Amino acid sequence: MDKPVDKNEAVAVQPVTVLELLTSFLRLGASSFGGGMTGWTHREIVERRRWLTDSEFLQTLTIAQIMPGANPVNLAVYIGLKLAGLRGAAAALLGMIMPAFLAILALSFAYQQLRSYPEAQAVLRGLACVGIASSLTMGIKTARRLKAHVLPVGIAAGVFLLVGVLRWPLVPVALGAIPVSVAATFWLERKNGRG
Amino acid sequence: MDDDKLLNLIMMCIPLSLVSFGGGQTIIASLQHQTVDVQNMLSGARFTDLYAISRAAPGPGTMIVSLVGWEVSGLLGAVLATLAIFVPSSILICAVGSYWQRHRGRPWAIAAEKGLAPVAVGLIFAGVFAVGRSAQFSPVELATTLAAGAILLRTRVGPYPLLAAAGALYFALSIAGQV
Repeated sequence: MDKPVDKNEAVAVQPVTVLELLTSFLRLGASSFGGGMTGWTHREIVERRRWLTDSEFLQTLTIAQIMPGANPVNLAVYIGLKLAGLRGAAAALLGMIMPAFLAILALSFAYQQLRSYPEAQAVLRGLACVGIASSLTMGIKTARRLKAHVLPVGIAAGVFLLVGVLRWPLVPVALGAIPVSVAATFWLERKNGRG
Repeated sequence: MDDDKLLNLIMMCIPLSLVSFGGGQTIIASLQHQTVDVQNMLSGARFTDLYAISRAAPGPGTMIVSLVGWEVSGLLGAVLATLAIFVPSSILICAVGSYWQRHRGRPWAIAAEKGLAPVAVGLIFAGVFAVGRSAQFSPVELATTLAAGAILLRTRVGPYPLLAAAGALYFALSIAGQV
């Protein structure tokens, strides 16, 4: 009854070039209006380019969230490193921060004028809705790929409750949940292996 | 004098980069204390202004250091402060990442990769929930979010058309006095 965990099985056969990485992450960096960066990154890297599988993406994402630094930037740097080494990491970093850097400088010049227009505030709210929708969609898509067993589903629900609803700090919760989750996965795999 | 301030700012950003767990918001308090109270780089009111801009701007909240850098010494200050906040944490994740890559394929590493997935899924939903709660959605905004989610689930539409459509819709609603 076991379904394959990865539907996005195709992994890049040809090496990814630094230029391709830079292009992808410049696009992503420029679409960070309204947030939802992780969702857009999943859409570009896993669904559109097929450079990583879902499970590779999730592993990368968890590490990017635990480590210090802005999560979307960490995610980009780690993906760049995986796909094209240190030069890939540098290209991903540059692509990710350049558009936001130019935008924040432009916005700071325009700020005094923009602040007085309610329309500008409304547009920002609209963009935020799409940003949240992108994260929500990625959550749904990746949750579907979890093994339909009480352990992984329970761990995901527990992490959501502690960090999201009860607002426990992310890093200690993740550091506590990871060994439990890895041990549970190891046990499940062995049980399935036997029969 | 400006060069001294710029150097101080860079030396302040490098350690902050390495403790900015969970993104930008965790370092704001420390950055404010250092730049305003200790080093007198800018006034408290100016810092609050810059904070508001960084919240409205795209990109991570840590981008506020670009604006502080600009205050201290113009474009050069903005570029160097931005690099000082992003490069150290990036080097750290490269070090951890390449260690992991070398050991992949071992049984414990495969179990670890699969075991990270449930934690990641939980954190994704936690992030959505936290942002949604702090945004205090109106019914119209909730409907927009759900509609955008449905489009993203069922189609291959990319970010730009959706963002442009939402921006235009809310601009129109605002003109009509509906939001």
